[in-house]
Amino acid sequence: MYRTKNGEEIFVIDSHIALWDGSPENQLNVHGAQFINCFYDYHKNLSPEEWVWPKEKYLKYDEETLVHDIFNKGYVDMAIFQPVYLKEFYKNGFGDVEKNSRLAQKYPGRFISNGTFDPRAGERGLEYLEYLAEEHGIKGVKLYTAEWNGNSKGYKLTDPWAQKYLEKCEQLGIINIHVHKGPTITPLNRDAFDVADIDDAASSFPNLNFIVEHVGLPRLEDFCWIATQEANVYGGLAVAMPFIHSRPRYFAEIMSELIYWLGADRLLFGSDYAIWEPKWLIDKFMDFELPEDIQKETGAELTLEVKKKILGENAAALYGIDIEKQKEMLKNDQLAVAN
Amino acid sequence: MMRQQDEVYAKLAAVYDPELDEPVTDMGFIEGVRIDGPEVTVYFRLPTYWCSPNFAFIMAEDIRNRIMELPWVNDVRIQLKDHCASDEINEGVSKGKSFFESFPSMSNGGLDEIRHTFRVKTYKSRQERILRHFIQSGLSHTAILNLTVAELSNYPGLEQDTHSLIEGYFAVRSEFGHTLKPGDTAFVRYDGQLIQPEDFSNYLLEIRRTRMSMEFNSNYCRGLLQTRYGEPGKENETEVIKQ
Repeated sequence: MYRTKNGEEIFVIDSHIALWDGSPENQLNVHGAQFINCFYDYHKNLSPEEWVWPKEKYLKYDEETLVHDIFNKGYVDMAIFQPVYLKEFYKNGFGDVEKNSRLAQKYPGRFISNGTFDPRAGERGLEYLEYLAEEHGIKGVKLYTAEWNGNSKGYKLTDPWAQKYLEKCEQLGIINIHVHKGPTITPLNRDAFDVADIDDAASSFPNLNFIVEHVGLPRLEDFCWIATQEANVYGGLAVAMPFIHSRPRYFAEIMSELIYWLGADRLLFGSDYAIWEPKWLIDKFMDFELPEDIQKETGAELTLEVKKKILGENAAALYGIDIEKQKEMLKNDQLAVAN
Repeated sequence: MMRQQDEVYAKLAAVYDPELDEPVTDMGFIEGVRIDGPEVTVYFRLPTYWCSPNFAFIMAEDIRNRIMELPWVNDVRIQLKDHCASDEINEGVSKGKSFFESFPSMSNGGLDEIRHTFRVKTYKSRQERILRHFIQSGLSHTAILNLTVAELSNYPGLEQDTHSLIEGYFAVRSEFGHTLKPGDTAFVRYDGQLIQPEDFSNYLLEIRRTRMSMEFNSNYCRGLLQTRYGEPGKENETEVIKQ
């Protein structure tokens, strides 16, 4: 819980966290090493100096570290796991739904443990999705469309199999589709970050919510464009958030742009933990004001009401969480008591 | 030798990252150059292992083509390091192969379309910076839309930076085949259409998004490159790698 200077309580949902294993023991090949190195560069480049982890810790951290950083230190009331497997790069996967779910069981009401799918897994993958829905009751999936799979270097949401998976999600009540766009999607002669397939999927599946992680960066303009067309497209702020520290003016421009095009109801806070820690992001975000000249350009405002929506209310709406009930339920749990 | 190096670097300075619209030399992407008689090897690096192979290929190809323009050069080799497609790009570009030939199973055509898409973004973003300047200086929308090429070039009291922006805008405008006669309208859409005063505000919002995106990306890339390879020194930019 974040408390403002006036004592007002703000319920925080971190909509993008991970528990990963990027250690050399788990790496399958050079790609696995390069993947975690690249993450570490993001971390080092955009974190305030005092928040930079040693590389050793960053490669693989334990559950206690995660729980402490997010809930004890980081103001967060609930957090959503967004697992990425990368099984071509890591022996046991980079992320792991089972591990996440075990942690979620250990701390009831604190985590939402999302699943994932890869449409290239065909029929077997559809069965796995059924298992995830029945066994773990998942309400959301994280898709990494740039994931390698054999000779394939990625997929699009418009692929026929991806459509089947989305249909299955709809049947199973998995309504929140978090999509991360990464580079190296074939065909390579096209823009690897193109978000047009999300546009198509969002119109074909109006009952699903598409949360575009990293607000479509580096294609912010294309993302804003499709998000204004489709009411079921949301922006996840992971990766955009840390610019609040290193480039506050860019952050202000991005926020004013997003609030102008999508409105305050369709933006979700995410730290992308462990790439960045929620504590410093939230502290800076709560203190942040849009510079007057930027505010004038679009007229968009970043008021306390807007901040509350972004920090928790919007994610709560997507996942059917009644914030008041949840607060009541969590107020005496082991983490609240530890605080 | 020094003169040849300078010539090579002058050519490199004219190679732009298509996504960021910044010269590869300013971005710190050039690690060094080796000259062996008529053969030039360019050591090239990017902010991440995963940077889009198509953009990497475009830059590598442009590097090769620009340096090949030097009369004393008969071969250019590219050494892109620490990249997921280093082998295909180095081998392909150094042998003058096309993108499709270099990635036969991963592409279904060439790079013309993507090059075009990013030239349009460059057009909008360069134009936006100038428009923004005039709007901030208090010129009315109508007055801005009525400016001719000659009036824009000779606009009184502009800083050197703004003149450079105008030059850059005119250069990309010519690429799109629009004439630059003194009486031509200075600001037109990339397809040559006039901008109607009633559409101007929406047009500005549209091109602003593009400019922001490019600016944001180039800051991101610059920061990541620095984290990956350390602070770029002046030395790096003129370094000659000796065997």
